[in-house]
Amino acid sequence: MPADLTDNNPGGDLSELLNLTVPADLNSVDTITDAIAANLESLQVPEQKRLEIGLAVQEALVNAVVHGCKGDPSKHVTCRMDVDPSGRILIMVSDPGPGFDVERLPDPKQPERTHHDHGRGVYLIRQLMDDVRFERGGRQIRMWKY
Amino acid sequence: MDINVRKRGSAQLIQLRGALRMGPAVDGLRQTIEETLGNGDTRLILNLAEVPMIDSSGIGLVVRFLASTKQRGGNLKLVQPSKFAIQTLRLVGVLNLFEIFDNDDAAIASFT
Repeated sequence: MPADLTDNNPGGDLSELLNLTVPADLNSVDTITDAIAANLESLQVPEQKRLEIGLAVQEALVNAVVHGCKGDPSKHVTCRMDVDPSGRILIMVSDPGPGFDVERLPDPKQPERTHHDHGRGVYLIRQLMDDVRFERGGRQIRMWKY
Repeated sequence: MDINVRKRGSAQLIQLRGALRMGPAVDGLRQTIEETLGNGDTRLILNLAEVPMIDSSGIGLVVRFLASTKQRGGNLKLVQPSKFAIQTLRLVGVLNLFEIFDNDDAAIASFT
């Protein structure tokens, strides 16, 4: 079981690589995804894994901005990236919004939802990352890539 | 994202460069396709050779317009999606909705 990142144990055996709090707008999403991409490259993470992490982070950040903060740049989204000694990556995204019940999200792969133009973000995150936890009533996502 | 549209045969070839994700990229492609459909062109080809990533918003857009074009007797076909784009489309269960080609000419010919 990977070490948990808790507010009371910000270090533990995890090394913090990024900790950004940004206004809730799409420019901020680009800023963070670019920073994470640079960190992954520095860590020499293989390209396929970099792409998968990058897309999962993109999805999580957009959800935080659009749903958590309703696109209000006066609100802020936080993103943190850590790595453990074996190279496993932990990324956490949080927002101050109302939260949501992730268990009530419809399955985007149901046939009647195939042609829907939304509703795939959380599903995609779960496919791309190895361990995904929603916390604080849906206001925080913690994602591991092994 | 850079978007270039030109008529090729009976189809409109839409060349994209950059990540297809929420924001100006998806908005731009949406506007482009809406204009194209508004002009009566329902045979669309998206060349994705220079699109490294498609997020769920981009997927939603192309799925929606696939349905729109088909309802109007046309289609929206894909050329050279990246390995990762194919993986992403497959993960969310929509890959098999699309006809995919290795090059523009093959996609254009498929409309005849």
